[in-house]
Amino acid sequence: MIRYTLRRFLGIMVTLLLLSLFTFVLSRTVPGGPWMQGVEIPQTPAQIAAFKAKYGLDKPIWQQYLIWLRNALTLDFGVPFSMPERSVTRLIGDVLPYSALVGGLAAALAITLGLILGVIAAARQDTWIDTIVTSYAVFIGTIPSFVMGFILVYFFASQLRWFPSGGWGGPKHLVLPVVAYGLPATGGVARWTRQCLAEAMSSDYVRTAYAKGVRQAGVMTKHVLRNALIPMVTSFLPMFPGMMTGSMFIEQVFGLPGLGKYFVMSSTNRDYPLVLGITIFWAILIALTYFATDLLYGVIDPRVRIVESAA
Amino acid sequence: MTADTLSGALAERAEGGRYASFWVGAWRRFRRNKLAMFGLIYAILISLIAISAPLLTPYEYDKIQPAVALQGPSREHPMGTDMLGRDMLTRILYASRPMLLVGILTGLAGLVIGVPIGVLAGYLGGVSDWLVTRLIDLFSALPWYLIVLYLVMVLSPSLENLIIAMTITGWVGACRLTRGLTFAVREQDYIEAVRALGIPTWRVLVYHVLPQAAPLLLWGFAAGIPTSVFAEAGLSFLGMGIRPPRPSWGQMLAESGNYWQYWPHMFVFPSIMITLSVLAFQGMADGLRKALDVSQNV
Repeated sequence: MIRYTLRRFLGIMVTLLLLSLFTFVLSRTVPGGPWMQGVEIPQTPAQIAAFKAKYGLDKPIWQQYLIWLRNALTLDFGVPFSMPERSVTRLIGDVLPYSALVGGLAAALAITLGLILGVIAAARQDTWIDTIVTSYAVFIGTIPSFVMGFILVYFFASQLRWFPSGGWGGPKHLVLPVVAYGLPATGGVARWTRQCLAEAMSSDYVRTAYAKGVRQAGVMTKHVLRNALIPMVTSFLPMFPGMMTGSMFIEQVFGLPGLGKYFVMSSTNRDYPLVLGITIFWAILIALTYFATDLLYGVIDPRVRIVESAA
Repeated sequence: MTADTLSGALAERAEGGRYASFWVGAWRRFRRNKLAMFGLIYAILISLIAISAPLLTPYEYDKIQPAVALQGPSREHPMGTDMLGRDMLTRILYASRPMLLVGILTGLAGLVIGVPIGVLAGYLGGVSDWLVTRLIDLFSALPWYLIVLYLVMVLSPSLENLIIAMTITGWVGACRLTRGLTFAVREQDYIEAVRALGIPTWRVLVYHVLPQAAPLLLWGFAAGIPTSVFAEAGLSFLGMGIRPPRPSWGQMLAESGNYWQYWPHMFVFPSIMITLSVLAFQGMADGLRKALDVSQNV
């Protein structure tokens, strides 16, 4: 188990290092930059040189990368070009709670509702209930979250006036973004749950359990769920960081001040330190979740532990 | 095997019998799937619309007419007009072009880059396989839309750069599929047999390995289209995709931002088109997966 853990951790570190190298080199080698586009006041070469010197852009790329990497290891991603009064790390820390709240709640909603629907469909396989749930799952999954956002705002904010149409405030402001973001994701969860359960239910050990005279409730909890849980946990857990990073579309619709908004804004402004910082931060978050999922996999499925310790 | 059955098998092979029967069977299974057929018909229709857009409408997509701005649907403008008085139907029709271009070109470019790399990595193994696996890991470490958004930012937003960015992240999918399949096929007896005949490696790969991958790659190509449709709409919605005045459904949705509460037609039609397209292409891909029976290979 320890060797397995270490090997996985090392692999993640190598991937993160390569990713940072790729994104960093790309941002520094492609022509254009924050001082090249959309400037109303013409800048003299001396001003540009001063700007480059201030941010260390006059050094060779490999030196820039090593300096950036050394700072990044202590979670210091520099200072945004467009907001010099705040460091990138401060900014991420300040706005992360908004994205985490919206993304986390949306993922929780998607998993809860999707699980319930998936279990119902699996329990009533090949009946009209199954057909309805499966059709719902296919259809709802094809609606992009930003389209769903518009639809919900039109009915529940514009027409019925039950909820505010955007901005940040009390819990009421959270309802529409979370539903618009979470609802389309229920489709995938329901389909996956149904498939995992159906596969486990049609396996030989379930038939054996029934043949031994185990009651249905016992078969479902001890045999079906325990086995179906493994593929389900490994695909549902990464949904949390996944939905936090994907919230940029929904943050745009509802004007929420989250990380996605700053990512899009800094992309438009070509604010390299900020974009790089957010990208690497997200990559770390996602990588850690996959790492945790792998470890959890070993806890849920004893077979993984045994095979690994035997190897 | 007796000489009789052998010659029979050879005759069938010569007529392409074995391959034809697989594809005929796949088509029969595909045809029975209603959502898949809807997807196929939609794909054909929207392609025809994209090609013949100028013939279908008397208006131009970028002609600004303030006098008729923000009109609801009428006989002259079946989908109404936007805030600049441009005909919505015309813009909806023209916007099928970037959607299809991104979907098809990204998929093709992904195949052209991903398949050779995947076949070589899977067949040769060793150092080259290790390198390719690291590359695949690298591009799978982050959700694709983050990498695409990052690349589009660095390259500056436009239709061409969106396709380039989607290709840079998209080839990994085709590469992973081909690599996995080649890895499995490499150990088969018939490959050893053709190798023993002294057939050069490239011929083994092109004539004996790649045909095995064809159903998988066809499905992979189709499965990439809904993602591309979503990406094009989403990035254009964020202002990082198609540049105005060229229309895109996602961009039209973003433009409706300040108006749609009073003129809902501005968001209704682009929304329907985005959802319908994702549904149709997704249905077609799901139908292909079942008809070609590629699920256990993935």
